[in-house]
Amino acid sequence: MIKIVIVVLALLVASQAQDIKKKQYVTQIATPRVSLAGAKTAPVQLRFAIDPEMHINSNRPKTENLIPTKLVLDLPTDIAVVKTIYPPGKDFSFAFDPSEKLNVYSGEFPIAVQLRPAHGASAGTFKVHGELQYQACNDRACFPPKKLPVEFEVTVLKTKSRRR
Amino acid sequence: MAEQSAIFPRYFRKVPVKRNAIILVVVILAVAGMIYVGARISRNSKAGLEAPEAPEVAVGKMAPDFQLKTLDGKTAKLSDYKGKAVLLNFWATWCEPCKIEMPWLVDFHKQYGPQGFTVLGVAMDDDADSKEWVQKDIRKFAEEKQVNYPVLLGNSKLGDTYGGVPFLPEIFYIDRNGKIVQHGIGLKGKGEIEENIKKALGQ
Repeated sequence: MIKIVIVVLALLVASQAQDIKKKQYVTQIATPRVSLAGAKTAPVQLRFAIDPEMHINSNRPKTENLIPTKLVLDLPTDIAVVKTIYPPGKDFSFAFDPSEKLNVYSGEFPIAVQLRPAHGASAGTFKVHGELQYQACNDRACFPPKKLPVEFEVTVLKTKSRRR
Repeated sequence: MAEQSAIFPRYFRKVPVKRNAIILVVVILAVAGMIYVGARISRNSKAGLEAPEAPEVAVGKMAPDFQLKTLDGKTAKLSDYKGKAVLLNFWATWCEPCKIEMPWLVDFHKQYGPQGFTVLGVAMDDDADSKEWVQKDIRKFAEEKQVNYPVLLGNSKLGDTYGGVPFLPEIFYIDRNGKIVQHGIGLKGKGEIEENIKKALGQ
């Protein structure tokens, strides 16, 4: 009985430590869908919410050591990214050092990804996965860099083939 | 009784009912305590109003010894500093609050050094102890900040030993006998850091 209790307690402690390490400070709001037709590009807008009182570095932080927010997608071969558009961040300073300006996102923010079907793409619906790489802080502490799993759906529509 | 024996496994029949009840109560209390602490940590970090509280269990206990590589290619042990008060500072190059407190630590290392005090900075950047380009970044950062105290290259094993180091900056104040006398997570005021240094020095 005592052995069982020790094992249960050890597992609980380990799981709590893991919970803190796995904790995310950003969440993806909904799973957007986009349709692609022909060779045209179409944007998909991913929206994210940052925990209250927290901020993350923008895609272009002002200091080189700071880790920028970055979207990394694992695309199927049928879809290509034309451009990823990050919003501008807001300037922010810690109360202890107002002279040091940071550039951050807080609250909600979007990332727009312009997509197009790859050459010879087959019609169908694809689930695209990726990750948002970010590093969060509050006004006194910073948290290790995180990777948030991200997903959205892309439907490649059938194109009418020209008959000779 | 024969029926009960058939229902309960042999093992449980050997243990007195009273002992089982005590163990059950202990387990329930432990689980409740963990849920409470977990909820507090989660609430604090979610609200972000203040840095999450340090696990106070570490205060009053001996600081675990470790051996790490230093930025200048040597190795250092915490036990090498026995007899000195130590401010063990976990930081990373991507941590802006760490950057703010660094000049304060430089001042304190200089001011209290002659009294038997040292700052030990542990860089917790990923791969700090294994990748040369990470060490190059850490060295550049430390030089820019004119760091005058030893910088050690941390790793997750050390982090786990010191409670996971889930947030930075994190400071352990260790007295001359190697006992942790204070623990702080997140950026604190310069005055508060100095008070804790004095405490570690026994002043």
